[in-house]
Amino acid sequence: MTGEPLNGDSPVLEKPVPAPSLHDPERFAEIFDGHFAEIHRYAARRLEDRDAAYDVASQTFLEAFRGRHRFDGSRGTVRSWLYGIATNLIGKHRRTEQRALRARARLGAAPPAEGHADRVNARVSAQGLRGALAGAIAALPDGERDVLLLVALADLSHEEVAAALAIPYGTVGSRLSRARKRLRKALGGTNPMLDLEEDDG
Amino acid sequence: MDEIRMVREAYGEPAPPTLREMTRARALFTDEAPPRRRRWRLKAGIGLVAVGAAASVAIALTGPGGGGGTPGAPHAQVDLDREAVLAAASKAEQVPAGKYWYSDHITGQSYIMRTKAGTYAIAGAHTEFFRWAGARKGMGEGFWGRDLPARPLTAADEAVWKRDGSPKSFRVWSNDHYYTYTAAATDWKVDRPSAIGGGTFGRLTTRQVHDLPSDPAALAARFLKPKPGDAKGLALNTPRLKVLTVGTLLEELPVSPAVRAGLMRALARQPGIHPIGKVTDLLGRTGVALASDPVRNTATGEFGAPKAEQGTFSSRAVIVFDQKTGALLGQHEELVEPGGPYRAQRPGFVINYVLVRGLGWAESQPKPPARLPF
Repeated sequence: MTGEPLNGDSPVLEKPVPAPSLHDPERFAEIFDGHFAEIHRYAARRLEDRDAAYDVASQTFLEAFRGRHRFDGSRGTVRSWLYGIATNLIGKHRRTEQRALRARARLGAAPPAEGHADRVNARVSAQGLRGALAGAIAALPDGERDVLLLVALADLSHEEVAAALAIPYGTVGSRLSRARKRLRKALGGTNPMLDLEEDDG
Repeated sequence: MDEIRMVREAYGEPAPPTLREMTRARALFTDEAPPRRRRWRLKAGIGLVAVGAAASVAIALTGPGGGGGTPGAPHAQVDLDREAVLAAASKAEQVPAGKYWYSDHITGQSYIMRTKAGTYAIAGAHTEFFRWAGARKGMGEGFWGRDLPARPLTAADEAVWKRDGSPKSFRVWSNDHYYTYTAAATDWKVDRPSAIGGGTFGRLTTRQVHDLPSDPAALAARFLKPKPGDAKGLALNTPRLKVLTVGTLLEELPVSPAVRAGLMRALARQPGIHPIGKVTDLLGRTGVALASDPVRNTATGEFGAPKAEQGTFSSRAVIVFDQKTGALLGQHEELVEPGGPYRAQRPGFVINYVLVRGLGWAESQPKPPARLPF
């Protein structure tokens, strides 16, 4: 019951959530089993800190459990609801997230020649997040970063992001569009056509 | 340029949550709240609890050495509380704070294979973790992990597995999907080693660990009581959670033997915690154990679990100590009332486990062992 493959490469299943009855602790445990590893992964990617990731993930399910009577199945899925709670909790760890991103920003854009140890490390650490990209993500307004990462990391649709963060649907699109432009600019995107490109993400 | 995809690919793959972390996070809301006690009983009971605690972990002596005692005589029993304190006290002077703290533990989860040859249990999600940290900031730290081979859980399971043709892979139901575990091990992988780390353990600094009290009541107040910010109505301090908490503290923190003994005493005094005598773990080591009151677990078909995986069983948390040294050997969840996925298993069946393979101070930077534990 408490088991979950620990090697992290099990498929994340897209499962329809048939308005589960959240009221019973034992049934809520199944929600936990179905989503804990995924929420933990999201927090760990953003915070890069084992303890903070555990705190966010466990607190997410505590808050969800506490607020399970308020869950409204017509507004979104259990999954997007959990991501919304986790995102708010990550907001309380802004300094941890900023520290990780700023440290990555200082790494510079070009990966150095990798030794054996680096190759081993690369399997579990974000070697690709560095330099200007990390700096640009760090510099985003919090609201834009949350939307960007819910789309990029959690793979939520615009509707789901709107439900998760309790913001209007249109705001999701505009925040995402602004975030993308900022990243493009920070990375030296010089093609003016890209700026005309409408938000499609 | 697709920024979304770029961001998605740039963010790395973090280490997954450990089985212990998941067990703990889950227990926060699945445990049943302990029955409410009347205030006057708590007040009146304080003195009695303190007296009773001395005898709370008692195990019967067996074998030649115990021949002198008549059954039931007080000296015919060894008091783990006292043993732990004595062993700890005798070591306290000899064990200075070393340079590097390390902890090597194995976690596994039992899964049920239902085959034509019969039903047997395997250990899957089988992982070994090795964590070390320097005593002071700047001395470095490292966190390693490797997958261990999935394997039949016990000798009896191995017999059925052989009749089943000794398969090397095991397709089992895991939470909400089928997953196949294999008998292959992976190499050690290191997770973000840090040359500048060290000096912190769990959430505490070396200084804070050093300043922990050894008094059981003070330790219980610090670690085993609900805090003001804790969620109301949630079973945050159930016996089961207390077992998990003490096991984690003993493993993560380089506490002195006196504090170690204090934590064991504190746990032994908690309501809902009982001595259960000798236990032999999956590495074949025998120790003395404490167990929590059992909790009920139910699996429904809501997330697609097949019929055979559905139903209700009860289980309890068990923590095992070396009788001679008081050292932590591990902890596990064991079946109390068979049912649901474990309807064919007997009480005492191990549902999931943490086995402590090594724990302590080292003088030079520790390295994970190459040898497989099984």
